[in-house]
Amino acid sequence: MTDNASYSRRISFDDVSKFYGDVLGVNRVTLSIPPGITSLVGPNGSGKTTLMNLMTGLIRPTRGSVRVFGISSSDPERFFREVGYCTQFDTFPRGMTGYQFVYSFLRLYGCTALEADELTWRSIERVNLVEAAHRKIAAYSKGMRQRIKLAQATCHGPSVLVLDEPLNGLDPLVRAETIALFKVLAEDGMHVILSSHVLHEVDAISDQVIMLSNGYVVAEGQIRSVRSEIREHPMQIVVRCRKPAEVAAKLFEQEQVVEARVHGDGRGLLVKTRDADSFYRLLNKIALNGVGIEAVAPADDDANSVYEYLIGSEETAR
Amino acid sequence: MAIYKRGYRTYSGPLTRERWRFLVLTRYAWRTIFQSRLLTAFFVFSFFYPLGALLAIYLNGNATILSLLHQSSELLVVGNKFFSVFIAVQGTFAFFIAAFIGPGLVAPDLANGALPLYLGRPFSRADYVLGKMMVLFGLLSFVTWLPGLLLFAAQAGVAGHGWIWDNLWLARAIFLGSLIWILILSLLALALSAWVKWKVAAAALMLGIFFLGAGFGQAINLILRTKQGTLTDIGNLMRVVWHDLFRIERHAFDFPPTEAWIMLILICCGCLALLAKKLRPHEVVR
Amino acid sequence: MTPVIELEGLAVRFGSRDILKGLTCALSGRSIGLLGPNGAGKSTLINTLLGFCKPARGTARVLGFDIRHNLREIRTALGYMPENDAFVSNMTAVSFVRLMGELSGLPPDAALERAHESLFYVGLGEARYRKLGTYSLGMKQLAKLAQAIVHGPQLLILDEPTNGLDPPARLRMLRLVREMRDQQNMRVVLCSHLLRDVEDSCDEVLILKDGQVVHYANLEQERSTNRRFVEMEAYGNENAFESALAALGCHCAAAGGGRFRMVLSDGIEISDIYRVAAEQDVQLRRLNFRRDSLEDIFLRAMNGSLAPQVDTGVEASNGHL
Repeated sequence: MTDNASYSRRISFDDVSKFYGDVLGVNRVTLSIPPGITSLVGPNGSGKTTLMNLMTGLIRPTRGSVRVFGISSSDPERFFREVGYCTQFDTFPRGMTGYQFVYSFLRLYGCTALEADELTWRSIERVNLVEAAHRKIAAYSKGMRQRIKLAQATCHGPSVLVLDEPLNGLDPLVRAETIALFKVLAEDGMHVILSSHVLHEVDAISDQVIMLSNGYVVAEGQIRSVRSEIREHPMQIVVRCRKPAEVAAKLFEQEQVVEARVHGDGRGLLVKTRDADSFYRLLNKIALNGVGIEAVAPADDDANSVYEYLIGSEETAR
Repeated sequence: MAIYKRGYRTYSGPLTRERWRFLVLTRYAWRTIFQSRLLTAFFVFSFFYPLGALLAIYLNGNATILSLLHQSSELLVVGNKFFSVFIAVQGTFAFFIAAFIGPGLVAPDLANGALPLYLGRPFSRADYVLGKMMVLFGLLSFVTWLPGLLLFAAQAGVAGHGWIWDNLWLARAIFLGSLIWILILSLLALALSAWVKWKVAAAALMLGIFFLGAGFGQAINLILRTKQGTLTDIGNLMRVVWHDLFRIERHAFDFPPTEAWIMLILICCGCLALLAKKLRPHEVVR
Repeated sequence: MTPVIELEGLAVRFGSRDILKGLTCALSGRSIGLLGPNGAGKSTLINTLLGFCKPARGTARVLGFDIRHNLREIRTALGYMPENDAFVSNMTAVSFVRLMGELSGLPPDAALERAHESLFYVGLGEARYRKLGTYSLGMKQLAKLAQAIVHGPQLLILDEPTNGLDPPARLRMLRLVREMRDQQNMRVVLCSHLLRDVEDSCDEVLILKDGQVVHYANLEQERSTNRRFVEMEAYGNENAFESALAALGCHCAAAGGGRFRMVLSDGIEISDIYRVAAEQDVQLRRLNFRRDSLEDIFLRAMNGSLAPQVDTGVEASNGHL
């Protein structure tokens, strides 16, 4: 993804800072986001929404520049054609139907009545709301409201779709449908940028993750590759097997293994190692000695662990 | 070294009596109410008139002072007129106190969705309304019937034997008149704040209902050439009821007290209905 | 032992709409997850157990108390954490929790003592003298939890307790739920859209749909493993690995990103897979027998009754063990 052709299809932040008076929004952010699903994670108040507002041109950076496909956010006429924004606020103009909501946005946008009508139906169809299009939004369920916002954000055919907490409050079925829709959009070459607090979900659906803390980007990329770069914490791997003590004994001969602890039930062990690659290679050999391996899994390369290592865990009393 | 591990535990101690639990709300509200200096000042200010009245009664019954002032007879007659003026003045103070405090009692709970927290406990809606009403009841009592009865007692002491037995109905009128007024004020304040869920708006609405209601009533009277228009004027309704209680002659332009009584009862019922509708632990889905 | 919650043909109507259509079941788990899509009747069920909605037909018992006759007893024994924001803005956390304790019947001094303990327990110790109006969303959630446990209830009903929490706050909330279940011996009913949360903290689930019980399950028993179906994640020369596995005679499907699923045919063991891995110099970073996640159970329950089209987008979010 580093060749020049695809480089122009990127969202780029060049040393961007945003201050609201004395309040820090984000600071010294330099990013280059390729197409696909990108997730923003971080504690409340870490600058996720500020980053999204910058990305959609709703606010201008105090310093640096934000460009979508090379178009600067200080060129709103062209910039806004490329981005669609779905905010976290669950509020709508009073008394509107779903159709009117999307249609009026398109008219404001400068479409003719005919164009607007066609585009409205197209985007409403995409989010599967055709039957409910002429019902009042006030009578929609949470999932439907979330989808009509999505229709509004995508109706003018943007290449960048920015969604603030789009999955919040959705039930498991609607969640799955919405995620599937994001995937379709991403496969069509769109940038889908979303924020979420549910890390295991984020880990599973996104092509890359951007982690924010206190207004700074602390990590970006795929969770797994981010994990291997955190060297101060040895990798933890759980092995479930019939003879954990035997495995542990073999592992202790290795220098890179920091710790091997047999589980209380005698059916598995937790290994901490500095060099996961050679551990896995070694495991290939140990497995042949009849130790009865049943399951192997890294214990801390998921989003939650990376989050904990990079941002910290007990921040509740902020 | 001894180690004491303490943390959260389940509770197995005694529980308080359910019947009086509504007073918990009252206690907590009183604790916060006097944090407002404006209210405290106003509350103190509302005792000036009763103090003045007490002084007047004292002077009135003191022969030495009367002779010093070269007055042969009494300065004023302490009777039904005296007490009905007293209650009208103190009633006005009570009204402003109720308009000031009342909306702050319920509106914040509704705006922040606290009702499920109250009602999810062994604590009913009636307990809730009762607890909140007791806040106003206590405060307004200090402004109305408590000083009223004090003045009555003072006058009884000054006037000597007989007066108290001849005028016992006055004490009843002071007490009953105040009670009705307090009931109306607190129900209105709670119902309005439950309705608009915003205490500033509720206070404004409360003032509006009294002042605009009065103006509206006069307008109807003028246009339709009737006297029933002032039925919309709660202050006037109350005045008629007070005059009835204090056996003061009816003005020609007043409507009969029975109508005023009925109207006041209707207002109370309306407030209770509004409270019953608005004070729910959950929103009914469309 | 009396069941925590017993439903007997419980039906609830709003106007002309049937919200709950005759639920019958007995829940006796220590922590019960209440699941279902929006509009399935979860909130109504909770509201009915609390006595906020009246049953049209049937009845329910909570800890053995009937909701038609013993509401006071139920509400005394129960702690409730509502879904929506619920607090009193101009009160400090301590006086708020104390007030709630007194309303549950604690004497004032006991309520004060326990208000402090509860706030420390949920992790708001440092912030307990601050006004609730100044709290962040996560702190308000914790304050709601503190008021729900101040009177030491036997049963705790939590409605979407992790909604809007950031990851550490969410993990903390789930840890508290487990702790209260295990150490304080409280029964917990947890209602959530995040299946993972329920999976992490509940041992039983009740799944509702359209006002009916579609599934009731003990999670331990349900999550049966299929010992012939293996999932793994390989790192290294994946293509060579795949073809070598196929040479063993196993049906093997690549799921992208180095992930494979295969059915072990007779005579083939896990150690054979490792031999292939060693030969091809491939690292097996993840390997397990397939077991049903709560998501699988949930989707099966949803499809069982009506079968709407469910997108397979869920599959990818099944990445965890």
